[in-house]
Amino acid sequence: MRALCWNGVNDLRVERVPDPTILGPQDAIIKVGLSSVCGSDLHLIGGHVPTMRAGDIIGHEFLGEVVEKGPEVTRLNRGDRVITVSIIGCGKCWHCEHEEFSLCDNSNPQPAFEEAAYGHCTAGIFGYSHAFGGYAEYIRVPFADTNCFRVPEGVTDEQAVFVSDAVPTGYMAADMGSIKPGDVVAVWGCGGVGQMAMKSAFLMGAERVIGIDRVPDRLRAAQMKAGAETLDYSRVDVYDALLAMTGGRGPDVCIDAVGMEADSGAPSIKGLAIEDLYDRGKQVLRLESDRPAVLRQMIQCCRKGGTLSIVGVYGGLIDKFPMGAAMNKALTFRMGQQHGQRYVKRLFEHIEKGELDPAYLLTHKWVLDDAPQGYRMFKEKADDCMRVVFAP
Amino acid sequence: MSRGRDGGWRPEGSAGTLERWAAILGGTALGFAGARRGSWALAALGGGLFLAGAAGVPLSSPLRRAALPALRREPTTTQATTQANVTVAVPAEKLFRHWRNVRHLAALFPHLDAVEILSDTESRWKAHGPGGVPVVWNSRIDKVRENELITWHTLEGADLPHRGIVLFRPAPGGRGTEVSLTLAYHPPGGAGGDDVSRLFGVAPEQQAREALRCLKRLMEVGELPTIDGQPSGRGESRSRTQEVTG
Repeated sequence: MRALCWNGVNDLRVERVPDPTILGPQDAIIKVGLSSVCGSDLHLIGGHVPTMRAGDIIGHEFLGEVVEKGPEVTRLNRGDRVITVSIIGCGKCWHCEHEEFSLCDNSNPQPAFEEAAYGHCTAGIFGYSHAFGGYAEYIRVPFADTNCFRVPEGVTDEQAVFVSDAVPTGYMAADMGSIKPGDVVAVWGCGGVGQMAMKSAFLMGAERVIGIDRVPDRLRAAQMKAGAETLDYSRVDVYDALLAMTGGRGPDVCIDAVGMEADSGAPSIKGLAIEDLYDRGKQVLRLESDRPAVLRQMIQCCRKGGTLSIVGVYGGLIDKFPMGAAMNKALTFRMGQQHGQRYVKRLFEHIEKGELDPAYLLTHKWVLDDAPQGYRMFKEKADDCMRVVFAP
Repeated sequence: MSRGRDGGWRPEGSAGTLERWAAILGGTALGFAGARRGSWALAALGGGLFLAGAAGVPLSSPLRRAALPALRREPTTTQATTQANVTVAVPAEKLFRHWRNVRHLAALFPHLDAVEILSDTESRWKAHGPGGVPVVWNSRIDKVRENELITWHTLEGADLPHRGIVLFRPAPGGRGTEVSLTLAYHPPGGAGGDDVSRLFGVAPEQQAREALRCLKRLMEVGELPTIDGQPSGRGESRSRTQEVTG
C-alpha cells in the first residue's frame, strides 16, 4: 500500500510500504477511505516533537471500511463503515472505564519515554511520534471494539471523517469549559478544532462566542459558518478588545486551540514582536520547547474565577508562565488530549439532527499522492485551506 | 546523544547550527552594545559568546541541565535495591494466584526462558544474557500470605543472587489492587544491580517496572500492545523502545 511518510523536518513523501497485518487479537484492519490533515501534525512535521523517526507514517484522522478483524473483536463486522478515534483506548483500564481514554494506561507500547519526561505514560496515538506509541494510521487499529465506531446511515463520509479528531477535540474543549447559559466563550485559533469548539460552545448554551486568529479566511469562516464574532490579533490588542466586548469582565471561558507554536501579536519592532522573539530564541536554544503566547493571553483576559480549557497541543516546557495572575484570579485549568470515545455517539446525533455539520472544514479533497503538497498548503494556510482530505 | 532539529542524532558534545548562529549573532550584538556603553565586561561576554559560537562549543545543553533539573525524572532507587509499583484493575486474589504460579512469571521478564517448578517452594530459573549466555539460579519462596505477599530468595550458587518481595493491597476507591515489587541484588559474588544491567542490558528499575507493566496489561486487556510488525517507510518493520529512549 502507499502511505505518507515523514523523513525529516518538512520532508514528507508518499511511499510504498508493506500492508499491515493483525498483530493482536483485538485488532482490526481498516481500509482507509478518507484521511485528513490535522494542525497537530504540523508540530511533528516541523520537528517540534522529539521522538519522530524517519520513515514514520503520519496522519491520525480517518474514515474507512473494516476489512479484517482479530478473533476477539465482537462489535464490528467486515464491511462496516467506521471512523477511528485518533487516540487509542484499551477500554479496560481505570481511565478508560471513567471515559478518560486519552489517559489510557495500556495502549502505549513504548511508555518509557513519556514516563521519563512526564512522570507517567498516556494513551497511544495514531501517527503521532514514538512518545505516543508510534502507531501508523494505515490502518491497523488495536482494541478495535473500543476505538472504531460505525458511522450512521444519515452521516456522510465528509462529515464523519472529522469525528475522528477535530470534532471531539473541539467538543471536549467546550465541555471542559463547563459552559453555562449566558456565558461568553473566547476561542484562540480558528482552525478546524477551534471552529468545532465554537459550534459546540453554542450547542452547550453559550450566549456569545469570540474567535481569535489572524488568517482572514479562517476569521471569515468562524463568522459565517461557526456563528462567532471574531478578532484579528494582528490588528487589535486582544486584551483590550475582549474586555471591551465583555463589559470589562473578560470571557467566562477561554479555549486554547493553538498550542505550542503560538505567536502573540504583541508590541513589535519593525514587525517582529518582542515576546515572539523571546520565545523563538529560547526554543532555538532549547531552553523552552513550547511557545506559550496564547496561555499568557488567556490568563490575562479570562474573567476572575473563569475557566481555561486547553486542547492546543504542548509537548514540553514553557517559560514566563504568569502563575501569580492565574492563582490570584482563581482560574480553573482544564486540559488534555481528547477522550473522543466519550463523545462520538453524541456527535453523530448532533450531525444527524442537523445541529452540527463539520463537512465544511473540508476545503480541499486530493489524492494521497499529492499529500506532501497538501500538507504544505495546509501549513502555509494558502488557498483558503482549512482542511485537506486525502482519498487513496 | 541528543536529537538535533533535523531529526537526526548527533553527539551531545557539539553545538547545533542554529545554536552556533544564535551564539555568534548574540555575541556580536552584546559585544557592540558593551563597547558603545563602555562596559568592558559586557563586551568581553559578547566576545566570548561569539568565539564559543564560532568554535561550536555547546552552550545550551549544560545551561539546560543546570536550569532545568526536573526536565527528566532520574531513577531514585539505589543500584542494589529497586522497587516498582503499579495499580491493576483486578482483585488481589487474581493477581496473587497468577504470581504464585511462578511459571507465569517468564512472560513478565523478556530475558527469562523458562521457570521449572522443583517443589511447592523451590523453582529453577533459566534466563539468557546478551549473545545467549545462560544465566541460571534456584529460588525458594520464604513467606506466603494469601492474597497479600510473597517473598523469595535465591539459593547458593545462583548466577544472579537476589531477594524479592511482591505485595498486593486493595487500591482505594475500588480501583483494583496496588502491586509493589521490590528486588534486592546483593553481593557476595556479585556487584548488586550492576549485575542486572550487565547480564540483561537494562537497568534494574526499568526491568521491575516493565515486569509490572506486563502484568497489568495481561491482566487488564489480555494482550501486550505492540507495534512490532507494523509497516513503516523504513523498509523494515522493526521497532524497539530503546531506539527512541536511548
